[in-house]
Amino acid sequence: MKLSEIIKQFHCHVYTPELAIDKEINYAFCADLMSDALMVLNSVKDDRILKESILITGLTTNQSIRTAEMLDMEVVLLVRGKIPSLKVVELAKELKIILLATDYTMFNTSGLMYKDGIKGIIYNQQW
Amino acid sequence: MVKEYQIIARNYDLAGRASSDIKRTLKAINLPWDLIKRVCAASYEAEINVVIHSVGGYVTFDLTEQAITLDFYDDGPGIANIELAMLEGFSTATELDHANGFGAGMGLPNMKRSADLMELKSDSYGTHVHLVFFRRNL
Repeated sequence: MKLSEIIKQFHCHVYTPELAIDKEINYAFCADLMSDALMVLNSVKDDRILKESILITGLTTNQSIRTAEMLDMEVVLLVRGKIPSLKVVELAKELKIILLATDYTMFNTSGLMYKDGIKGIIYNQQW
Repeated sequence: MVKEYQIIARNYDLAGRASSDIKRTLKAINLPWDLIKRVCAASYEAEINVVIHSVGGYVTFDLTEQAITLDFYDDGPGIANIELAMLEGFSTATELDHANGFGAGMGLPNMKRSADLMELKSDSYGTHVHLVFFRRNL
């Protein structure tokens, strides 16, 4: 699925328009707890998978951006209509992480993406 | 190569800054992607632990031909029961920590999982976490 299709389907607000290249998204992981994201996504052995992944979270602090940075992920999608602060947007721009936000809930976002063929990343499962 | 970074207690805006610089350093010398990711995940967890649980501390980063070594030192109050702290899900974190996406008792187990070697020493004067990652691919 193209990132542009995700932006359109979920009526996303794009906080980093200067970074929004249209890339392929084939995998996703959702969590509000960043330790879970670090543990599960750290088990992925193929860097291509994380490059094609989206981190879905309701956490609007710097830590969601930092977590994506540590894992070399390029897209963070904030759910439930959360609005990030300016410093979070600035950090995303600085680290070249595409920051999006949608009014959809985490469950509905994930369910719709799954229906469209996006695979959920599982601990220690390699594709 | 040796580097040192200060970690400020309770400052979530700056939390992760040291790990971010460590990542840039490792990327600049083209280490294997998987190794960088393991170092960064463990480093970030350890850095967050100092922010959450201590009154402040620092980390030293040491890069040699054989290994990457991280030493996190803080000035207390220390871990009351290390055995319990190493269990997944055990935590003494607060609501503020949870609101920042951490504090669910996964930090130390995640570090152990990511590092090749982990040593933990703690008393009421502070905690020392020693993490080693071997550069196997060289």
